[in-house]
Amino acid sequence: MSGSWTIAQASLPAPMDGVTLAHYLVVSAAMFAIGLVGFLTRRNLIIMFLCTELMFQAAGIALIAFSRFHLHMTGQTFVIFVLTVAAAEAALALALVVLLYRRKDSLSADEWAELKG
Amino acid sequence: MFARYRSWGRGAPAVRASVRCRGGALDAVINPYLLYVGLALGGLGVCMALPRRRVSPQVLGAVLAGLGLGLVLLGLGLRSERLPNFNFYIFAAIALGAALRVITHPRPVYAALYFILTILASCGLYLVLAAEFMAFALVIIYAGAILITYLFVIMLATQAPSEGELDALAEYDAEARSPVAATVASFVLLAVLTTMLFSGAESLRARDGAGLDAPIEMMPQRAERSLREAGAIGVVDEVVGVDASAWTATLRSGEVVALPESARLTNVERIGHDLLAEHPGSIEIAGVILLMAMLGATVLSRRQVELEDEAKRRQAERLAAAGTVFADREVSP
Repeated sequence: MSGSWTIAQASLPAPMDGVTLAHYLVVSAAMFAIGLVGFLTRRNLIIMFLCTELMFQAAGIALIAFSRFHLHMTGQTFVIFVLTVAAAEAALALALVVLLYRRKDSLSADEWAELKG
Repeated sequence: MFARYRSWGRGAPAVRASVRCRGGALDAVINPYLLYVGLALGGLGVCMALPRRRVSPQVLGAVLAGLGLGLVLLGLGLRSERLPNFNFYIFAAIALGAALRVITHPRPVYAALYFILTILASCGLYLVLAAEFMAFALVIIYAGAILITYLFVIMLATQAPSEGELDALAEYDAEARSPVAATVASFVLLAVLTTMLFSGAESLRARDGAGLDAPIEMMPQRAERSLREAGAIGVVDEVVGVDASAWTATLRSGEVVALPESARLTNVERIGHDLLAEHPGSIEIAGVILLMAMLGATVLSRRQVELEDEAKRRQAERLAAAGTVFADREVSP
């Protein structure tokens, strides 16, 4: 048993080093920033929603890292609710995208510039 | 018993009190110059990698972005006594590289596929963090369900390329909108975010995990099964009480026996307990949200929509252009 690394072994409650948490937070923050750049620069509606999913994902990594850091389950439980919101958002957003596409025959966000303010 | 578990859940005011937010705190985690130079390099790289109509230095941008993030992670490693699991670096590199490709790939289908790669790499990170249940749930829900929906919609809502110009991109996919401003805004946000995170995280001490197995006090049958499998009790013995902090169980006969290590709760059991015992209302609300989303999506997509006149004209032009190419093909042989 000892010597070989197993997934079950990884769940032993050893708290993470305080400084190691920073690594995960950097990855999470960087992924969030990449998602934000994508959301701001891309003009394809589907890619824009994909970028919001990327930001959800970044939040999930931060939640799991904090859950491990505090050895508290609520962080992991909360990711389930993040997934729920992401799934609901994907269903509604994609239904809207299909509607918008049927109307303009294009996925460009600029087509809907008339909606502003 | 339960009250103690609750206080453990809410508690640790000492941890919160020990969080100090001072300017010098950042220096304890990473050299600030290294952090900001790394972030600036990353921002420059991302900006260069974004799609443009003229030839864009995408590879150079990706290399620069990777170099920037590498600098930051390296700088973090210099100041810490313990480094994360080696797997962390691999999964982080794959996740961020694929994330960069999601926002830079001009074709939506490939962007979605790269997003699946990001999800899988995140699952790797979750496994390193010992969150097995969430890792598998993520593969099933995200990569299996949500992304397939995305792929379907991309295929439904993408104009079929007319023959002869298979490589032509839609105009809105080929060129990023104001890449410099967006990158600057995002990376300034990232710099502020990391600065604040590290200022706060410096003296934030991890809690010990003694409370993680506390839910077993409410599962005497679970303890009984582990004891029986370990051969510590006979067939007729019955566990009536469990003390998680002393890691012992009380039998009906009054005898107190030590619990085996195999009685430690698994990740799935811990999440299940936290979900249903601690947040029963939230899970009901999550169900309602999903139901409403399903109804909403069904109602929305059932509606018949007419093409607008402008769009009709463009579609006709496109079809005509495709028809000419096709006609040429027929004539030429």
